[in-house]
Amino acid sequence: MAWAGAELIRRMADGDADACGVFYDRYARLTYPLVVRIVRDPADAADVLQQVFWEVWQAAATYDPARGSPEAWIVMRARTRAIDRLRIIRGRGETFVAPVDEAVAGALDRLPDAQREVIELAYFGGLTQTEIAERLEQPLGTVKTRMRLGLERLREIMKTTP
Amino acid sequence: MSHEPFETQAAAYALGALDGDERAQFEEHLARGCAACVAALREFDETLADVARELPPTIPPAHVKTTVMRRVAATPGRRLSSRRWRSMRWAVGTAAAVVGVSAFVAGLVASRYEARIGAMARETAAIRADLRAQEAALRDRLGVARTVIALLRDPATRIITLRGAGPSPTASARLLWHAREGGHLFIANLPPPSPGKAYELWTISSGQPRPAGVFTVDGSGQASQPVAANPGPVDVWAVTLEPEGGVSAPTGPVVLASSR
Repeated sequence: MAWAGAELIRRMADGDADACGVFYDRYARLTYPLVVRIVRDPADAADVLQQVFWEVWQAAATYDPARGSPEAWIVMRARTRAIDRLRIIRGRGETFVAPVDEAVAGALDRLPDAQREVIELAYFGGLTQTEIAERLEQPLGTVKTRMRLGLERLREIMKTTP
Repeated sequence: MSHEPFETQAAAYALGALDGDERAQFEEHLARGCAACVAALREFDETLADVARELPPTIPPAHVKTTVMRRVAATPGRRLSSRRWRSMRWAVGTAAAVVGVSAFVAGLVASRYEARIGAMARETAAIRADLRAQEAALRDRLGVARTVIALLRDPATRIITLRGAGPSPTASARLLWHAREGGHLFIANLPPPSPGKAYELWTISSGQPRPAGVFTVDGSGQASQPVAANPGPVDVWAVTLEPEGGVSAPTGPVVLASSR
């Protein structure tokens, strides 16, 4: 097996540029589709991806394997950055970037529509629970419950799917 | 309070959707070291990473890696001593102090904000630059006010009126003038000069004009311009419209002049 992701991050923290190249090759494939899905525009997505990996290089020493896998770490960073960019794009008011509505083959599609919808609005659309409740004209409590049930079900699906 | 609401908040938090008081409430709860919520959050984070993995594959443009690697290669030496790292540690440390808990849980929370610290630093820098500019502008105005007060206190100071002439009959100006200390010129209602042009102040003694400063006016036609001391007697003060850099003898029309 090649170096584990956590080992790559540790090497980056030590200033090993080669480790950064290997890390990029392995994790850009994971994060880029997510960033594209969130910000939509390929040029914006490339920009965000570059920012994410540059920040990963700088913040490598803050990674703690006990807190989660390298995948979860970089996905969270990429998502945060992509949502930041999405808010800027929306703020520019050029085009309202509609928060999703396209089928994602996979576990999300196995959720009841109402649960899938709130998870997609939050995860890909960057909306908060209050914004989602307003948008769907649903009570806040309903939105919260759907998020939790959806995420719990998703967790079970992922555990049973190899 | 039962634990149940926190389990619901953990899901929204993992999705980045928890907002307002609830967010603060949940982070405080985490900070108390709730093992169940820490574990739930960690599992949800892994689940969401799996969701990302299921998205249709898209190949990132090659230039992204090239750019990242070029910046990485240019990173000088060990970064642990860099200022950026220290400030990052400071930010994480502050988050820990505020919530007052184990480093582990604080890190779990801080890692969600860490990516935003750079953006916040940029915003802070912009605000600071703006404040500095405002401070400089206020200092300038304060300096003028002090000069004017000092001039007005001195019995040797005269107030000379300049009246609009030629192309700008409604313009007016007042000059607080002290032959030994210099003075200050205040102008109103003078139209802003066309591009490439500026106004120039002249002292005229025995029919001989001497340059006394080049200036322009703001959008409302006002100007406030210090004037250097001038030992000899001045018969007339005048302002003409000239090329931007000023000239050594007047060439343009007189727009303001004092009476003899």
